[in-house]
Amino acid sequence: MSSVSDPSDPSDAARPTLARRARLRWDAARARHVVVVPEGVLALTEEAAEVAALLDGRRSLADVIAAVAEAHPEAPREVIDADVRAYLRRLVERGYVTMEAP
Amino acid sequence: MIDPPVALLAELTYRCPLRCAYCSNPADWRDYGDELDAAAWSRVLREAADLGALHVHFSGGEPLLRDDLESLVRAARDAGLYTNLITSAWRVTRERLAALADAGLDHVQVSVQDSDAPRADRLAGTTAHAHKLGAARQVKALGMALSINAVLHQRNLARVGEIIALAESVGAERLELANTQWHGSALAHRDALMPDRETLARAQSVALAARERLRGTMDVIWVIPDWYEDAPRPCMDGWGRRFVTVVPTGVALPCPGAHDLPGMVFDNVRERSLGDIWREGRDFQKFRGTDWMSPTCASCERREVDFGGCRCQAFALTGDAARTDPACPKSPDHALVRDLRRARPAAVADEGPLYRIDIRRGRRAS
Repeated sequence: MSSVSDPSDPSDAARPTLARRARLRWDAARARHVVVVPEGVLALTEEAAEVAALLDGRRSLADVIAAVAEAHPEAPREVIDADVRAYLRRLVERGYVTMEAP
Repeated sequence: MIDPPVALLAELTYRCPLRCAYCSNPADWRDYGDELDAAAWSRVLREAADLGALHVHFSGGEPLLRDDLESLVRAARDAGLYTNLITSAWRVTRERLAALADAGLDHVQVSVQDSDAPRADRLAGTTAHAHKLGAARQVKALGMALSINAVLHQRNLARVGEIIALAESVGAERLELANTQWHGSALAHRDALMPDRETLARAQSVALAARERLRGTMDVIWVIPDWYEDAPRPCMDGWGRRFVTVVPTGVALPCPGAHDLPGMVFDNVRERSLGDIWREGRDFQKFRGTDWMSPTCASCERREVDFGGCRCQAFALTGDAARTDPACPKSPDHALVRDLRRARPAAVADEGPLYRIDIRRGRRAS
């Protein structure tokens, strides 16, 4: 198993990965994406679901930001960069995502 | 429009090799022997998923006593449900755990009765503790998520720090520190199990400090001791609102404690689909929302936070399930709870034998 880097300041090469206990799925009854964990459900906005779908353990943080930016050419790159980092930081704090070392 | 449930609590059997005095199962558990078979459960699991449930919690009794548990886990995963096994891990083998992992089991919650084997085994009424710790490590090694659950009471609250260390040592991602809920067998044993305020306060400060220290590593959940709080427990997050329980014989309930509320007519999944029962079952409506509430609850700004507290506790203490939960300080019946709390620490810890109540009524054919 690879070591886990400092979650408060992940390097751009770190690979944000959906925690093994967490499952991303479509919740048809409520028409939304969710991340399901033991005893918990995190409802995702469409934007959050786009990010979550990229957390496959292969893409680096820089790759994830680049992919979101590419999908949203209308949004300023620095806004996307800050939003994705802030969102992933929250998911790491809450145990939904781990930052795997490069 | 009635919101769908988020989770199905599937009580597969009430058989259990443990004899914990605080057991929340019905005291006449022997009368629930006509258990749903695997085909019926598979249908119920699909119905729950179609209705909108995201989780299934396989529980009991001891669900490992069902030889067909693997097929039920597989059926749940096929239906798209996140699968959780709530177990004592009693004598489970690595092979069985591997078969459950292969079937798609996501998460296992292992109970512990205390932090050391002699005390834990005395509470469980059988030799179980050492095996649980090995099984918990195997759960992790097999790639499943792990929670540890400990029911807390006067006999183990002083060792909450050791229980937290135990959960860390087996690599749990979650630890539920669940203060005893005073129903059924637990209520009958309250003289032995009821904590005093100082013991509780010390344990709570240990638990809350651990929650901070372990943030991001292990979720530490402190389930409030509602008899000592400023507000009642929002039982089941509201009646018929987020959870549906199906008991071993197939009766569907809004809460696993609702068996013994008087005058209730709960439907059986053998006769009606889970979706119909959830939406239209007579007694799923009974305490749903706020229309049923007493004036005390109806006029309270927390009515949609606490949902009136616990219906079963209201019935157990006052004889009327529609009254405000006596655990609430605003309840006109709050003196009942005050009188039953333990006034001061016991001079000597009582560690004698103590087993769940066990009666046979012989009146539940199905």
